[in-house]
Amino acid sequence: MSSTIPLEMEAVTKRFGFFTAVRDLSLTVPQGSIVGFLGPNGAGKSTSLRMALGVLNPDEGAVRLFGGPPDIHTLRRVGFLPEERGLYKKMSPRAIISYFARLKGMSAGDSRKRADDLLEMMGLEEFGRSRISKLSKGMSQKVQILASLAHKPDFLILDEPFSGLDPVNQQGLEDLIIEEHKRGATILFSTHVMEHAERLCDSIVMMARGRKVFDGTLNEAFGALGRAVLIGVTEGFDLDAAMRAKGFAHNEVHGDEWRVSLPPGRDTQDALRAAIDAGAPITSFRPEDARLRDVFVSLVSEAEAEDLHQTLATSTPKGEAA
Amino acid sequence: MRSIYLVARRDYLGYVQAWGFWLGLLLTPILMAVGMMAPTWAAASQPVRYYTVIEDGSTFADALRAELEEDRVQIARTALDPMASLNGDESDKLNTFDDAIENGASIEEALEAAGGAQVQLPQADFIYVDPPATSEEDIQPYLLGERSIETEAGPQTLFAAVFVPDGEGEIEYWSENITAQSLLGKVRSAERTLTERRVFEEAGVSPRLLREAENRARDIAEKRARPPSAAATGSAVTLADRAPFFAAVLLAFLLWFLIFSVVNYLLMGTIEERSNKIFDSLLTSVKLPHMLAGKLLAVLAVALTLMGVWAIGATLVANFFSGAMPADAREMMFTVVAAIAKPGLIFPAVLSFVLGYLMYGAVFLALGSLCDTIQEAQTLMTPLIVMLMVPMFMIVVAISDAESPILSVMSWIPIFTPFLLILRIPAQPPMWEVIGLLALMVVATLVVLWLASRVYRAGAVHGAGVGDVGKWFTKLLPGKKTKA
Repeated sequence: MSSTIPLEMEAVTKRFGFFTAVRDLSLTVPQGSIVGFLGPNGAGKSTSLRMALGVLNPDEGAVRLFGGPPDIHTLRRVGFLPEERGLYKKMSPRAIISYFARLKGMSAGDSRKRADDLLEMMGLEEFGRSRISKLSKGMSQKVQILASLAHKPDFLILDEPFSGLDPVNQQGLEDLIIEEHKRGATILFSTHVMEHAERLCDSIVMMARGRKVFDGTLNEAFGALGRAVLIGVTEGFDLDAAMRAKGFAHNEVHGDEWRVSLPPGRDTQDALRAAIDAGAPITSFRPEDARLRDVFVSLVSEAEAEDLHQTLATSTPKGEAA
Repeated sequence: MRSIYLVARRDYLGYVQAWGFWLGLLLTPILMAVGMMAPTWAAASQPVRYYTVIEDGSTFADALRAELEEDRVQIARTALDPMASLNGDESDKLNTFDDAIENGASIEEALEAAGGAQVQLPQADFIYVDPPATSEEDIQPYLLGERSIETEAGPQTLFAAVFVPDGEGEIEYWSENITAQSLLGKVRSAERTLTERRVFEEAGVSPRLLREAENRARDIAEKRARPPSAAATGSAVTLADRAPFFAAVLLAFLLWFLIFSVVNYLLMGTIEERSNKIFDSLLTSVKLPHMLAGKLLAVLAVALTLMGVWAIGATLVANFFSGAMPADAREMMFTVVAAIAKPGLIFPAVLSFVLGYLMYGAVFLALGSLCDTIQEAQTLMTPLIVMLMVPMFMIVVAISDAESPILSVMSWIPIFTPFLLILRIPAQPPMWEVIGLLALMVVATLVVLWLASRVYRAGAVHGAGVGDVGKWFTKLLPGKKTKA
């Protein structure tokens, strides 16, 4: 049964022996969206993407690509860049791009023309007939990215596409993703570089320890972190005590500045007024510019702490018995 | 089917564009030719060596000379009439030649008498020279190269000296070279011949009588029992009767050679893909069975390309030298080819070929998917190569007896069935056995393909390695399984 939703995963779990790599993951990638799949190393991102593509079968739950199981027919509409990069070293970029496009159903003539166009677009036309082994790592990576989208897929899954690329090539790849999105492709990419997700994504899914810890828009992500102001005061002044007295209970010192969390219903003006009223010798004041990195660190830390807590809870009775 | 073709095409072009392919294509026939010619070249390159015999009279020297000439006599007989000489058949040419030798003619004279004056004989390896000294002490400088003997080719070192005492004393063979033993062997033969002659004479039996007894032995005609339906063929054993056995050996060897020569392609190709981490890209583009089929097809095409080029080359060379090929040899070749083309042999042979290749090819592909490096592959290759040597030994057994019970028993071991069924077919085993073996091969191949695809998936998708093979086997052990 065909559907317009490129990817749906329902309560998916994957175990390797006693290790649970992905636990009860549910997510939907809407058509036409750019979704960032974020998480630290070992969070289960690649395993999830491999399940999405049918390379791995989930132990529990269901995966649907365009409404059907991820088989060779639905996969023809998908382009995939794996995390572990690799190409045939003795083939030329043109031949490789054409080969993968043909495997996805393109005709020989169209695939070669598409390969030439893509190589030209990425400034690689002069290396089109060189062996991959003669190209730099960055160039090879670009060739592999081009091979994954040569057949003009409806859905592009990129596993850590930015890793190994220099800043110039990272920007080039961002532009390429935007171009593909404009063409109409839905894009799901995993990364642990938050800046790319901030710039590109409509929504993000965060993973930690095999579990989904967040699924929503960027604004929702920033909301999850909570707002704060950063106040600089003369050395020796106890801003924490002063702000607590005014109802601002969560204050942390970071170098020369204090990070004062804003309780619900209080805004930045309230925080400034409270500090002045408390007689704080203010040297600087600015609202905290929330970054996705902070959201990420916060959510991942929470998940890891919870995981650790659960581990300790399950191991305590054994210890007592011993 | 399209994806199978695309995978096969890519892999095939990848293999044939590698320099190793061209090296194998060109070097294999050259090395095989060198291997075949090596004994001839070795014989031709052997230097002429000079020997002497110190005795009273020339009895021993004559006997030794006759022994040394015997090899050249055999070469001359083979050149004169190859088929009759090899099969021991009657031949006017050979009779004339033998009579001439019997009457004391030289080999060249005997050849001329039998109409073989054009035959080129190799030069003699050992040439007799008169003794330069008669005592052991005096002859040693000649053996050590300190002194030379005079020959037609100028001064030479004496290779060996044979001291033959009168009466019962020990014969002494002196030489500086203790590795070249052929002359020593001939000395022993000469002494045996002389002793036999002497003993028979002492018993009052003349050597002429002995020869006559040998000549009067009756010929033994080899006949073959045939069913009534084939009675028209006659009972005599002909080349056509033997041709299927030659053909079967040839086909079994070809299958063995095919598998042996493609092992590296299958292993290395898969190792390259594993080490290049390309499996995920492929598995999201092609079904795993299609990928495996494409790979097997590509390597088969490589092997057939190699064999095709060699076959065409051999045909061209054979055509070029067809004038030099004796009519009997040509007839033999055509008879063997005709035997291969018979449905009774070609059908099971083709099936064995295909199933045997699939079985072994799938195993090597699966093993390659578990290896990151060539070193890892080598640890798995060794037992497989040893296993592959067994059919080779069986081919040797089949050459001497195609109905050997060991062939019958071992043909029921699935990994050997493809080779041994081909070898057994000319011996016309019961139909139930042929059908049973074919069915066994089909089932075994399907099981191997299923297992291989699982191993391949484990290697390609889950990154299983060589070490995991040991763990799988450990799990199969009853005691270990419960512990796990």
